[in-house]
Parts: sequence; C-alpha cells; structure tokens
Amino acid sequence: ARLCVCDLLVAQCDVNCCCDADCSPQEFSLFTACSVPLVRGDSHLCRQKAAVYSLDVEANPPERTLQLIDQVNPSIFCIHATNYKQALYLRSPEMPTPENFDDLLNEFGSSAFSAEPENVDTDPPDANETQRYEYGLPIQTQDAFLRLPSPVVSSWCSDANPAGFLVNQATKCIRSVSVERCESIQALNMQFYINSSILAFVFQVNISVQSIAVQSLEGTRTALKGADGLRLPLVLDDLCLNVVLGVSYHITYTDTGEIIEAAAAFVLGAITKETLSVQQSFQISFTQVDTKPAPLSGNPGYVVGLPVRAGFGPRGYPFPAEFLTSRHSQLSILQSTPSQDCLAAQAARAPVLFGHNMISGCKLRITAAMKCQPLAQTLLDVLKGQSFPEYVASFGNSQAQDVLDWVPITHLHISEQGISNTLQSSCQIPVSFGIEVKWTKYGTLVNPQARIVNVTATLTTTTLQQLPSGRERTIPITSSVVFTDISSPAEPGYKAWPTINIKLPYDFFYPFV
Amino acid sequence: RILNSSSQLSSLPLQILFYVNGIYYIFYFLATLAMIVYKSQVFSYPDDFLAPDLAVLFLMAVLEVPRLYLGCKGNLREEEGALGLSLGLTVGSVVLSVYLLAWQTYVLWADVVLTAVLLCAYGLESGLKVTAIAAFVS
Repeated sequence: ARLCVCDLLVAQCDVNCCCDADCSPQEFSLFTACSVPLVRGDSHLCRQKAAVYSLDVEANPPERTLQLIDQVNPSIFCIHATNYKQALYLRSPEMPTPENFDDLLNEFGSSAFSAEPENVDTDPPDANETQRYEYGLPIQTQDAFLRLPSPVVSSWCSDANPAGFLVNQATKCIRSVSVERCESIQALNMQFYINSSILAFVFQVNISVQSIAVQSLEGTRTALKGADGLRLPLVLDDLCLNVVLGVSYHITYTDTGEIIEAAAAFVLGAITKETLSVQQSFQISFTQVDTKPAPLSGNPGYVVGLPVRAGFGPRGYPFPAEFLTSRHSQLSILQSTPSQDCLAAQAARAPVLFGHNMISGCKLRITAAMKCQPLAQTLLDVLKGQSFPEYVASFGNSQAQDVLDWVPITHLHISEQGISNTLQSSCQIPVSFGIEVKWTKYGTLVNPQARIVNVTATLTTTTLQQLPSGRERTIPITSSVVFTDISSPAEPGYKAWPTINIKLPYDFFYPFV
Repeated sequence: RILNSSSQLSSLPLQILFYVNGIYYIFYFLATLAMIVYKSQVFSYPDDFLAPDLAVLFLMAVLEVPRLYLGCKGNLREEEGALGLSLGLTVGSVVLSVYLLAWQTYVLWADVVLTAVLLCAYGLESGLKVTAIAAFVS
C-alpha cells in the first residue's frame, strides 16, 4: 500500500488509481483507465514481486484485475540484497516519545538535518557577556516583554510596544471601552500591568505598586494614601470604577545593567455608560541606584534656559564622598522685589538659568544705629542665599558621582576703599556680587555642546562709613550673573596640497650620463 | 636429487592455484572498488555505511599479499609453518569475503558472482594446503 504512488488522498478513493486500497469495487467500475499499471519496489532490485493492475473494460461493470508477477532485472548490477533499510523505501518518521525525544531533537532540531545526531557545536553564550541589559534592549518579563501601550499608525492603543532599557518614554493612546465589558477588558485592569515579573537574568523582579491616584469624572486627581493593593475594575450602577487611566513605571538599575527594582504608579478613573473611549497615558523612567533623579539641564551640553546645576563638594578629604545636589543648593540669584528693600523679610531668589544674563538688586537703608558686622552678615546672606553651592556641573547631565565633571566656584574679593584707609581694618559690607560663568563650545562643529569651564563669584565690599546720628543713607546692592562664551574659534584644517611625484628614471640619459 | 612426484612433496596444483588466485584477486579488488564507487553515485550511500565496506576491502587486500607469499614460500620450501600461517590468513580472508557477500550495504549481482568465485578459490586452496601440510609433516 505504501508503494502505490497514485494513492494521494487518505481514506478516500483516488480517481483512476487502481492500486488504491480505499476504493470499493463500485468505484473501480467508474474508472476509465489505470494510471499506474505496475506497482513494484525499487527498479534496481534483481528480483521482486510486482503487482499489475488492469481494468477489464469488457466486463459489465468494469472491474479491476490484479496479478502478482515476479519481476526480474536482467542487469548484472542489480541489487541482490541490501543491509541498509532506508535504501529502498521511504522511512516514515519516528513518533516522538519521551525516550527518543532528545535524539530526535538533536537530529532534526537545527536548521539543517544531519544524517547522524551531532552534538551542538556552537559555544554556549559567554555567561559574562549577555547577562545584562544594554541601552534599547526590550525589557523581558515572564511573558514576552514589558509593554508600554502606545499609538501605532492611528491613536488607538497597541499593546505590542516593548519598553527599551534606559529609554525614557511617555506615550498617550486611546482605548475603546464600554461599561458592560469593563471588567473583562484586560488593559483597564491594574493586574495586567504588574502581572508578570521582570526577568533580570539573575533573579526576577516583581513590579510593585508605588502609588495610586484616583481621578474623578471631572478630572480632579487625589492620591490615595496607603494604597498598596490591587484595585480591580468594579461595575457600580452605571459607572465602572478603578479603570486604569495612566501607568508610570519607575525602574531602578545598577551601573552594571541589572534591574533591581520596579515600581508602577497608577492613575485610576471611572467611566460612564456614555464613554466610548478613554485616553490612557503611559510613562517609563529609569533611575540609577543610589542616585536621586535630578532633572537634566541638557544632554550633555547645557541648554539655554535650563537651570545651572550646582552642588556641594565631597567632604572629608581624602575620602571623597559624592556630591550633594539638593534643591537647596541651586545656584540662585537675588530676585528684585517691588519693595526694593534688602532687609525685608525673605527676598525671593531666582534660579540662574544658563545663557540668561541677569542683574538684580535692592536698596539698603543704612541708619546710624546699625552695627556693621551683623549688617555685613545679613547682606552676605541676601546676596549669596542660604546655601551657596561650591561646585557647578560642567555638563548638563553630569552625574553626582563623577567628581571630575564638576567645576569649583572661585571666589574673588574686591574691596573698594580709599588708599588712606588701608591700614584700618574696618568692617566691610558687601555691596555687589557678580557671578561670571565662562563657557565654551565642546564637541563637533555641527553639534556643539555648551560646557561650563569656569565660574567666578566676585564679591565687592566697601567700608561702612559711620553716619552721624539721625541721618540715613541708601546704597544700592546689586547682584548679577553673566555668561561669557570663551570658546576659541574653530580652525579649519586643510588637506595637504597634492604633490606631483615625478622622478626621472635613473638611467634616463643613459648614453650620456 | 631427481625431481619427480614421488620425492617431491610440494604441491603443484596448490602453486598453480596461488598464481591464479593472485591474478584473480587483483581483478576482484579493482572490480569491487569500482562497484562501490558506482553504488555511491547511483544509490544513497551515507558515509558511515561506506566506511566499513571500504575498510573491509582494503583489509582484505592487505591480508592477501602475505597470505600468498607465505603460501608460495611454504609450499616451495616444504615448510609447514609458513603454510600453516598462510592457512590462518586464509581463514581471515574468508571471513572478510563473507562480509562482502552478505553484509555489505548493497550487494549487487556482480558482487555475488565475483565473491562466490573467490570463496571457491579460497576453499580449494585451503583443502590443498591442508593436504600439503599433512604431506610435509609426515
């Protein structure tokens, strides 16, 4: 039956196939001819049995006749015997069983089948090399990838967008909803976003719920205190509550590329019967472990208009600790107020923005009763601010741990005083504070990045002259910030002039030289 | 010493058979090698089936040379030791030719004919050697 080449349909009768075992005599009577008259094994065999089929059209109804004959191959090179099973017949594939599965996998598992099962000869991937995430690699979770639904082509959400490592993304997309199905739509369910744990190669990191904010139908958001558990969608009257409107992932990573923590902050809302679609917003951000995420003022060069980043230097030489960049150590400048009184309560301070030169000031009313020393200290506080930083970041994205990326602030002290008073060590009050920031263009000519090279803070003081009692004076106090571009002009470089390399052959003038 | 059949113990038929065997074996070796090449082209002949067949053929060729040499020497010098050794080697050759007759991957009709003739020659040789050894020993 295996040798019948016209038997193509399984369990069905093939037309005009006389050797088909699935045909009944009635079906044979409908045939017109036998497409395969002789059925035998390999033609090379010396001696074999063959079946000859013929259709007897004389009889009514026509019937198929079968005759077994001995076929002899007269050639001297006919196969007398063979010890190789696959030589003459197609071997039917083995059914996989638990015993032979490994062998079958070795033999047929690769892209090319081998005659004998061979050992896998590719080296196993180097354990040290691939066990970490690199920029842009999709973050793997237990089932496929960490998804960040995003609009593809149209604004409708597509769940197939994987989040890339270290790629901060924020997407918004629309999803169609209905109150009846809101419990069954997976994407509206908090569980869908924190279900699978992230594979960090060494261990698995579960996504924890960082915070939940609830948004009312009008749009006001309130943070739920102490909300750690899951809040699943709930149908109540005509509303469906606890529908996910926004997810914000925060992934913490180490500098070796391992993910050690993952948290998700949710915004849950409610939908009404009339709502046909909701807009969901998704965001993912990456923070290196043991660093506080500081907003970058440029990447890497400073961007005009963003605040200059500053901090305090490492303490305890020679054990440098990290820089402290907190909000209180912003480089700031006195902000002029309408009242213009320096001693008024808590003058506001404005952050120093890169590229923006600023000048501000106030008026100081000096009375006779004022003592110099406390006045000088107060003025210093007014001009410099509460915590004047010691170091300024040279690039907009300088990390606090890179000590060499920070520029120290040089302080200059100019005291205006007449020559006649040089011998007196009288008290000086600061009257002017100027910060000069020298920056340069760094990098390529087509994409120059701004880099702060030098920061000088100049404090100008003057002697406080004693006033006769009852009189008062007003002196202006100024503070300023100036940004100077000290980048050297780019020098064009020329390629070398082409030289013509002509040399006469040695024996050009042979007969004469 | 007069060379006549009464005092000469060396077997003449055996000597003739050795010569014929030598010539026939060269023909047999070349024919079988050619047929293996033909089989590998026409049929599916994977490497791990081809290797044993070729190994047996070459081993037989390697055995044939000392076998015939020792046989000739033993017969002419009337030494039963050499002849006995040749008989031993004949047994090995018989085994190998049985392999080529029955256990080869593809046994063609020509293979059967040639190997059968070879086996007949070996059998006849062995009989004559035994007779010769008996004559030498006694």
